Amino acid sequence: MADYTNYTNKEMQAVAIAKSIRNGQVVIVGTGLPLIGASLAKRVYAPKCNLIVESGLMDCSPIEVPRSVGDCRFMAHCSVQWPNVRFIGFEANEWLHDTDRLIAFIGGAQIDPYGNVNSTCIGDYNHPKTRFTGSGGANGISTYSNTIIMMQHEKRRFMDHIDYITSPGWIDGPDGRAKKGLPTNRGPQMVVTDRGILKFDEQSKRMYLAGYYPTSSPEDVAENTGFEIDVSRAVALDAPDPEVIRMIREEIDPGQAFIKVPQ
Amino acid sequence: MGKIYSLSDAISKFVHDGDHLVFGGFTTNRKPYAAVYEILRQGQKDFIGESGPAGGDWDMLIGEGRVKAFNNCYIANSGFTNVCRRFRKAVEAGELLVEDYSQDVLMLQLHAASLGLPYLPVRLMMGSDLVDKWGISKEERQKIDKLPNDKFVIQDDPFHPGHKVVLCPVPEIDTAIIHVQTASPDGTCRIIGDEFHDVDIAVAAKHCVVTCEEIISDEEIRKDPTKNSIPGFCVDAVVLAPYGAHPSQCYGLYDYDKKLFQDYDKASKTDEDFKSFLDEWVYGVKDHEEYLNKLGAVRLSKLKAVPGFGYSVDMTKEGK
Repeated sequence: MADYTNYTNKEMQAVAIAKSIRNGQVVIVGTGLPLIGASLAKRVYAPKCNLIVESGLMDCSPIEVPRSVGDCRFMAHCSVQWPNVRFIGFEANEWLHDTDRLIAFIGGAQIDPYGNVNSTCIGDYNHPKTRFTGSGGANGISTYSNTIIMMQHEKRRFMDHIDYITSPGWIDGPDGRAKKGLPTNRGPQMVVTDRGILKFDEQSKRMYLAGYYPTSSPEDVAENTGFEIDVSRAVALDAPDPEVIRMIREEIDPGQAFIKVPQ
Repeated sequence: MGKIYSLSDAISKFVHDGDHLVFGGFTTNRKPYAAVYEILRQGQKDFIGESGPAGGDWDMLIGEGRVKAFNNCYIANSGFTNVCRRFRKAVEAGELLVEDYSQDVLMLQLHAASLGLPYLPVRLMMGSDLVDKWGISKEERQKIDKLPNDKFVIQDDPFHPGHKVVLCPVPEIDTAIIHVQTASPDGTCRIIGDEFHDVDIAVAAKHCVVTCEEIISDEEIRKDPTKNSIPGFCVDAVVLAPYGAHPSQCYGLYDYDKKLFQDYDKASKTDEDFKSFLDEWVYGVKDHEEYLNKLGAVRLSKLKAVPGFGYSVDMTKEGK
């Protein structure tokens, strides 16, 4: 009998993602952990959510884990195969019609206290030390949708000032998005890391620690965050149910494409 | 109509030094690799490139120094190479003029080009460094005829007082190259699965080269026009190139070649290994047929998509 109590931080992240999704939401996923988390949500926590991807594939239910949002594994099991521009129009119209259904997962290399994210470069943009892919769909998504941001929790990634803003968050506080001409009623809701869950203060829009994993602690989070972080509101999060871990390992990602099972 | 070409003739006739060039497909799906390899072999260079969601297609051309300026939104062989390595090296070394747009803007620019619009107004990129920083300066832009003088212009939105709008240039594409499942001699195309931006660029480009898995008759393709994507009027050349998207996917027909993408991931880490990879798979083979023979029938047959999935699944493992 396999052991499903030896959960990893990645699995904890996937469970945190799954629990953040509600019935009726239209979830913009990518590949990797958000897809694993969303697939878990569909099975356990929010069976009436629908998954879409930025390439334009609507209501996806992949059987095998896709490697990209344009993968035939997404394309094969969806309701409509739209071109990407239709996705963009849909995303904008969801905001124009004030339909609060979209929730999107994005990731990046650096994040600041207001949830602005960098997925473009490390160092000066015109002479980068390290260059990444660029925006992909993340900029448009963070313009028009509420987002949940996936990050590796390291001091060098959680910085007061990031090198490049690819995806705008709350900019610099409660008036930030209005000043920049961005929809003010959309923005980052949560950051899910390998140490815990962070949210944004309703007044200041600054990040605070909302919950930490059994393998972490408020001190651990503060130590690995490169800016001052309020940990006073943090609660200890429960360890995941072994049945949920079984589902991730046996049904959702049996090939261990994104989550490795501990030896 | 005379639109059937050999791959070599189509590329030499419709792809020239300095062209503003766009490829169809999406990162590792339906990328026109056979055509990209032929461009590499023939030597055309100084391209102005539009990435779309790019992958190894543009990474190889960038690695070989064939690209003068690149409008980027995303470039990865996702799941194999998460940032294309030759692109990364060229940008970090300051060897490539690269401009960043969001993927939404770049795809809308290609769509706007297909609609014949003079420019594209968006609310995107605001509040980000995509509007605060330019990859290609005004001075550099003035030196290159085929680049617009501005990355964008921000203006008041005339219909929504108090709001700003970002006006983006619409690309004037010389040549689009796409790979489709089926075409007919008059250029009519049938794309199965997501069309991505392929129809947009076929309409927008001055010339469109289509490589395809099969050619059927003009009569046959008209028997079910609901399945057709592009009228022949938009197409200049039809090239029969079975497995012409390999190593990327072609929906309903074959999957990506994981081994080749993994090998490219390793090879593209260094100048030497990248060169050896291209020597082996591109320059060392005469044409697409020789490439297919080099891959071999068994390797290709294992990529075959299984009906009901659209990609390859090892059904011999089912029900054991």
